[in-house]
Amino acid sequence: MIELKNIEKYYANKGVKSYILRHVTTSIKQGEFISIMGPSGAGKSTLLNILGMLEEPTYGAYEFMGEDVVSLNERKRIELYRNHIGFVFQAYHLIDEMTVAENIEAPLLYKKVSGPERKSRVADVLDRFNMVAKKDLFPNQLSGGQQQLVGIARALVAQPSIILADEPTGNLQSPQALQIMELFKKLNEEENITIIQVTHSEVNAAYGSRILHLLDGVIKEDLAVPQGV
Amino acid sequence: MFRLNLKIALRNLWKNKGYTLINVGGLAIGLASCMILLLYVAYEWSFDKQTSGYERTYVVYNNQKNGDHTVNFPWTPGVLADELRTKIPGITRASKSTYPAEHLISYNHQNFKKKAVFTDTAFLKIFDYKVLQGNRDQMLKNPNAVVLTQRMAKILFGNENPINKTVKIDGKEDLIVEGVIEDVPVTSSIQFDYLGSWAMFLKQNVWAQENEKNWGNNYCLTVLQIQDNSFFERVTAEIKGVYQRNQKENRNFASIHPISKWHLYNKFENGKSVGGKIDSLRIFLLLAFCILLIACINFMNLSTARSEKRAKEVGVRKAIGAARKSLIAQFMMESVLLAFFGMVVAFMLMEISLPYFNSILNTNLTINYKDWEFWSVLITLTLFTGLVAGSYPAFYLSSFNPVRVLKGFNLPGNSSLSIRKVLVVFQFVFAVCLIICTVVIYQQLNYVKNKPVGYNRAGLVEIPVEGRLLIGGKMKLLREQLLKSGAVTNASMFSTSLSRGGNNTSGVSWPGKNPKVDVLVNFRFAHYDFAATLGTKMVMGREFSPQYADSGKVIINETAVKVMSLSNPVGKVITWGGEKLTVIGVVKDFVMETPYQTVTPMIMMVNSTGDGEGVLVMRLNPTQSISASMQQITTLVKEMNPDFPVDATFLSDSFEAKFQNEKVLGILANWFGGFSIFISCLGLLGLSLFMAEQRRKEISIRKVLGASMMNILTLLNKDFVKLVAIANLIAFPLAYIMISQWLSAFEFRISISFIPFAIAIGLSLLIAFLTVSAQSVKVAKSNPIDALKYE
Repeated sequence: MIELKNIEKYYANKGVKSYILRHVTTSIKQGEFISIMGPSGAGKSTLLNILGMLEEPTYGAYEFMGEDVVSLNERKRIELYRNHIGFVFQAYHLIDEMTVAENIEAPLLYKKVSGPERKSRVADVLDRFNMVAKKDLFPNQLSGGQQQLVGIARALVAQPSIILADEPTGNLQSPQALQIMELFKKLNEEENITIIQVTHSEVNAAYGSRILHLLDGVIKEDLAVPQGV
Repeated sequence: MFRLNLKIALRNLWKNKGYTLINVGGLAIGLASCMILLLYVAYEWSFDKQTSGYERTYVVYNNQKNGDHTVNFPWTPGVLADELRTKIPGITRASKSTYPAEHLISYNHQNFKKKAVFTDTAFLKIFDYKVLQGNRDQMLKNPNAVVLTQRMAKILFGNENPINKTVKIDGKEDLIVEGVIEDVPVTSSIQFDYLGSWAMFLKQNVWAQENEKNWGNNYCLTVLQIQDNSFFERVTAEIKGVYQRNQKENRNFASIHPISKWHLYNKFENGKSVGGKIDSLRIFLLLAFCILLIACINFMNLSTARSEKRAKEVGVRKAIGAARKSLIAQFMMESVLLAFFGMVVAFMLMEISLPYFNSILNTNLTINYKDWEFWSVLITLTLFTGLVAGSYPAFYLSSFNPVRVLKGFNLPGNSSLSIRKVLVVFQFVFAVCLIICTVVIYQQLNYVKNKPVGYNRAGLVEIPVEGRLLIGGKMKLLREQLLKSGAVTNASMFSTSLSRGGNNTSGVSWPGKNPKVDVLVNFRFAHYDFAATLGTKMVMGREFSPQYADSGKVIINETAVKVMSLSNPVGKVITWGGEKLTVIGVVKDFVMETPYQTVTPMIMMVNSTGDGEGVLVMRLNPTQSISASMQQITTLVKEMNPDFPVDATFLSDSFEAKFQNEKVLGILANWFGGFSIFISCLGLLGLSLFMAEQRRKEISIRKVLGASMMNILTLLNKDFVKLVAIANLIAFPLAYIMISQWLSAFEFRISISFIPFAIAIGLSLLIAFLTVSAQSVKVAKSNPIDALKYE
């Protein structure tokens, strides 16, 4: 599904290149649950942003579903967002002026899904996440864990093939974090959605099927997680 | 999608009430100012355009050589209309008429002084007023006919049918009502209450009857209508020499001026139209759009300043698949929505302020809610405002790169800030220009007002000589009675109102005059003690007095002395129309028609009997109260002339009325200048609000490091004060050019001093400083920990 070849990312500052990523080469298959780990400044988020096409690599090749996306134009990129990629952010990034239901509905609007179908899909997702009672609340009326659930619900409602999550539990307490991780695992197993998350936590990483360890922009380890842990 | 966007926009506006208030307020004031100015412009623009053939209708102007230049005026000989209609092909109609003047009209012992025009049937056809009763084709053919306006008919007859009723005019002639027409629209240059026949005018004015075929006397208005405008060139060419063709020695030439331009293009220089009222209209139009633009800039500034808050939303929306187009549409919709709110508030502001503007503009502007043109302009204006105001924020906000804003937002460089600065500078350039212009307009107005007029106008009153006072020495008697009563200390008669222009002639010659050059000279008739009544001085010689036989004698003014270059004027003989007149005195120049131009040469002859048309000028007795004097005057005049209402005019009032145009300009510039400064300050306030919020952390750190309140205030205010100072520097040359241009139209004008500029820079800096400080003091006083602990 994803092929990265020799991805490099650096910032040139007064002639000195400061590397964020070096020689990152990997491939990710449909249905994998990958955790990217590493210390601060290792380039985890940058790698995720490149995967999510929010940033362009300085150098290297990136194929997404068989298509070269390094220099994709904006319209095609937006098409990919609409149809294949769901983002989950550490700071949730819900739109404050929208209610829970409207936040979830937003991607469908941009995807030009018809009204009745939008309603039913939003209702379905709300139901699955046990948030029917909260659908008319605004984000600031919810706890952090609930907001992140809405964030995930929003990412899922467009039925993406991949979810990119940047420290999804970074701002949450552990019981809530566990809940989110369980959810990811379930989505991954039951709906075969590819999940790539950046995390600091070994516990969270253990939910995945594969761990990429980054250090100073280089993949140090690429481990398969033994199942059943 | 649209509904959701609308809902979110509304929530957004509600959540940021202060911001919404500033924006809506600014837009509302901008829109209301713009609409009021547009209403006024439309009103002025609509003058003389109500008749069906107005674009083919022309006013005939008489161009007369006066020394080295040409003066021109729409006064023509009575024979002109018929001559033009019969001799020049392409002219379908030509009418002659008097200028509207008040005449007494009575029915059933009720007397009213109302404006009359004496004219012919063609007049009613050219100005096709709607005929409510009667037959248009036959109107005014009978010498004793009168046509009333609906309003006049109502006053005279109430609900009775006015047709064939008899009314009396000037207490002498019986006239039969043969028609009723609708009221003359207020936007018509010719305003009257009833129409009389031309024959009646001739009957009442013997001099006009005698001069009916004379090409040298200009006393009526000639209006003509041509078949279509393809004849314009031809008619213009043929009409030019009409005077000379009929009177060999006549050096005047005629020209035509479209009636649709009569009101706005009323200034002529050497026979060419050089604008007039249209110039101030253009200023108002420019003002209207500049104020709107300022309001739009406000909006742009505030929206971009708020971008930090909106950036996150943009980032999220982009990440979940929003195209830039849809984001632009969303922001545009928000601004159109705001503009719409602004328009609703603007309506209220307009309804509140219109009565005030009507009173100073002397108009009757109203919002015509049934007029589709009004609504279409309104909606266009609202959409235009919304789109202009929203354009920059929409493109700017939608351009954010999602990853940058989501990663923790840094304002994208200083570029947006500098654009905002440019916008603030632009706003203040405009505001400062307006301050300077307003000050200069007031200075100029005061200068002309306080310029000596040559006589003492305080306590000077004039009443028209009319009715029974016109003949039989009644006037002389009245004057004596008035003097005896003690109401007035002095009184005299004069052949025209002191505040108006009047008869002039180029038929005066003097020793040493170049016979090839025509010079226009005003001529007047005055009774005894004229100079003493006015409170002016005789520079040389004496004035008319009962002790001498003054027929064949003349008094001239100082300008006449200069024009005639008489070294020792008293005793010199000048001739007028063959009559020899000996100069017995020189009167100091005094202002009559316009305080804006040098006084024209004038000769005065004696009117020893006191009979004939004109005014009675009186100097009120300063030792008793004005109301007591006026009471006595009214009683005496009424006794002598019971049919006419006594209408006394204070000359200081009529003098004041001459400044109407400049006063209106001054008041409007003042108001709208004030508005634009206010809107600019709203913008500044909003900007400082966000600037302070943005710099809260910086300020908190500075405070922790030991900065004093003063340090922080300086820090926050410095930037804004700098911007306003730059705006002043840019505005100065602009304003200088504008005011010198405006002033150049005045013959008497102030020299431009530094005062307006000093006022402008002082005022703008002070206002800007106060506005910004209101916000920065709050930030400077806040507890640093509040800002720091959430980082």
